[in-house]
Amino acid sequence: MVPAQWYLILAAGIFCIGLFGVLTRSDALYFLMSVELMMNAANVNFVAFSLYYGDLTGQVFALFVIALAAAEVAIGIGIILVLYRNFGDIDVTVPTEMRW
Amino acid sequence: MVDAFAYVPAVVLLPFFSFLVALGAGKYLPKGGAFGGIAATAGSFLLSLWIATAVAGGRAYNETLYTWAAGDQFELTFGALIDPLSALMLVIVTLVALLVHVFSLGYMNDEGETGLPRYYAGLGLFTASMLGFVVADNLLMAFMFFELVGLCSYLLIGFHFREPGPPSAAKKAFLVTRFGDYFFLVGVVAVFATFGTAAFAGEGSFPALAEAALAGSGDVWTPGGLELQTWLTVVGLLVLGGVVGKSAQFPLHTWLPDAMEGPTPVSALIHAATMVAAGVYLVARMYGFYVLTPTTLAVIAFIGGFTALFAATMGVVKDELKQVLAYSTISQYGYMMLALGAGGYVAAVFHLTTHAFFKALLFLGAGSVIIAMHHNEDMWDMGGLKAKMPVTYYTFLAGSLALAGIFPFAGFWSKDEILYEALVHGLNEPLLLGGYLMGLLAVPVTAFYTFRMVFLTFHGEPRSATARDPEPVRWNVKGPLSVLGTLAVVTGFINMVPVQKVLGLEGIDYLHRWLDNEWGGIEGLSSHHYADLGPYSSGYIAGGEVPTVLVGAAVSLGLALAGLGLAWRLYNVASPTEHTAKLGGIKDVLYNNYYLDELQVWIAYRTEDVAGGADTFDQGIIDGVVNGVSSVSLLGGSRVRRIQTGLVTQYAAMLTLGLIALLVLLGVNGGWFL
Repeated sequence: MVPAQWYLILAAGIFCIGLFGVLTRSDALYFLMSVELMMNAANVNFVAFSLYYGDLTGQVFALFVIALAAAEVAIGIGIILVLYRNFGDIDVTVPTEMRW
Repeated sequence: MVDAFAYVPAVVLLPFFSFLVALGAGKYLPKGGAFGGIAATAGSFLLSLWIATAVAGGRAYNETLYTWAAGDQFELTFGALIDPLSALMLVIVTLVALLVHVFSLGYMNDEGETGLPRYYAGLGLFTASMLGFVVADNLLMAFMFFELVGLCSYLLIGFHFREPGPPSAAKKAFLVTRFGDYFFLVGVVAVFATFGTAAFAGEGSFPALAEAALAGSGDVWTPGGLELQTWLTVVGLLVLGGVVGKSAQFPLHTWLPDAMEGPTPVSALIHAATMVAAGVYLVARMYGFYVLTPTTLAVIAFIGGFTALFAATMGVVKDELKQVLAYSTISQYGYMMLALGAGGYVAAVFHLTTHAFFKALLFLGAGSVIIAMHHNEDMWDMGGLKAKMPVTYYTFLAGSLALAGIFPFAGFWSKDEILYEALVHGLNEPLLLGGYLMGLLAVPVTAFYTFRMVFLTFHGEPRSATARDPEPVRWNVKGPLSVLGTLAVVTGFINMVPVQKVLGLEGIDYLHRWLDNEWGGIEGLSSHHYADLGPYSSGYIAGGEVPTVLVGAAVSLGLALAGLGLAWRLYNVASPTEHTAKLGGIKDVLYNNYYLDELQVWIAYRTEDVAGGADTFDQGIIDGVVNGVSSVSLLGGSRVRRIQTGLVTQYAAMLTLGLIALLVLLGVNGGWFL
């Protein structure tokens, strides 16, 4: 059996890639994809621990997260659409009206 | 059967509701909200009668109704205390307030005054505050309503705020009484610090605790190891400060004559039943405390006697009807203080009762004359009104005879009893005897200025066109006058102690029996309990009690008649002249009130630096701390909000930094890096 820490290292790696995307990209679609990566890193962790402890709760949680991610994508694409209509672009650094 | 005492809060709340109604909806109601006030005070009056009947049925009431702050050391509460004293006072206050409301229909509405909703709102709140003060079961609650009474007097004295006089008089009344109340407030705090309670009645009340502590049992706090008796005297004198201010005793009496700027019905209310009566009532309420400290009693008696004489002399030279009455009020409250200081608890309450009726009568009578004279108050423009307004004349005459202390009108009985108490207790106490002599000297002066007023106003030839053809008054003026006129004649009969003593009858001193809990009351709040505690012993002149009674009554009646006779000789002529000019320089001194107003102004200017320093401290330190705190938050906020850039990437970066910081923190705590 593959030891649990390999899964954790994989998950940490995916999470960091996602985080890197969020921090460096300014395109909203990249944002959405990066968030998806981070969420799936969490899913890997859930499933890994589920396997490690022999408890199905983690896998059920992973299913919930997948459903949640689907909803999140729908909302995210909606926001991007509105962004494009209002600013003619999907660059997240352009709209800075909501500030002090 | 419904319990009468359950309606005690209603007595207070009814006038309060009339205040709310007049304030909120007065301008939509007929007569500016007057009927609401009349209905409310009539309701309170009926409830008070019912409560008094319940007390007469042998019961009393002492309950805490609401605790608004509770601590480890003590609780701050609202409650009601109904014993013979407060039941009697409730009836007096509600009756006078009712009659004043009715009279206001004639004095305010019929005269076409504006701002009537404000007027009736003020009357309602005034009555409610006084009733709250009367039923108060602890000193702090009494203080709060005491202050409300002061506020209402400010609002009502300054009713005609567009003229220059009334606002200034209102401010003066407020400031002068506040000066006394300052000491009262310190006294309330001292009572809490000493006894841990401010309740008036019951086992754990502060008079009972003070009594026990003086007897050697019980443990009370005194500051800096001060001797208990001395400290209690200090506390008593502090509370007395408020009494001196409100009851217009020397040297804080200067606000009261100026308060005549208010509408006349308000003057009647202030002088007869509410504001000024509050001071004397407070001393009577906590009399169980005052009798424990002979020094305080002597001070009260001396201030009272001095004020009685001092104010009476000023009344002699005044030209305006209401001014004469104002000085007579100060003087009469001086008598009540003399009685309280002399151990004459019942005598003081008796005079408070009779005075409430005859002084309300005199003020309302003066109001009737003022209506007739088209608001000219100068007595030298009056004269000959007797034939034109008989109802006003005869009721006013009854009130004047009562004020002058002529047998058998109400004032005779009460004033005689005060002087008797002061005499028999004063034979062993020089200070008290001084008070008695001043009180006795004030008797002919009182009779003189009272009848100078009566003769100048009603007798002789009319001295102006208005006096020849006065404006008629209606039922709403004559009605209250008739009620009060009857009371001014008969109230004295509730307590005919001299008759009882001379004829050897038993049990016709009803007020004595009432205040002695003979029908019902609360243990420790009875007149014989106070007499037992009091420091005085009785002495008699002319060999015994009965001759003392007779000599005392004969002397005071003789002096009163002498004063009346002098007024008759000088002023009961067709066209009287100003005899006061013969007094020469003294007249100017009297007319200017012994220059006490000027003295107070002078003191105020001398102490300007103190006030300025206090203001600097208040603005700089107190307000400075508050403003400093707020400006620090304001400045910090304006800096910190800069991180709100609107760039979503930066927010994400900050989230990540936060996460990393949290991880490092948890790691350090968990020992990863060691």
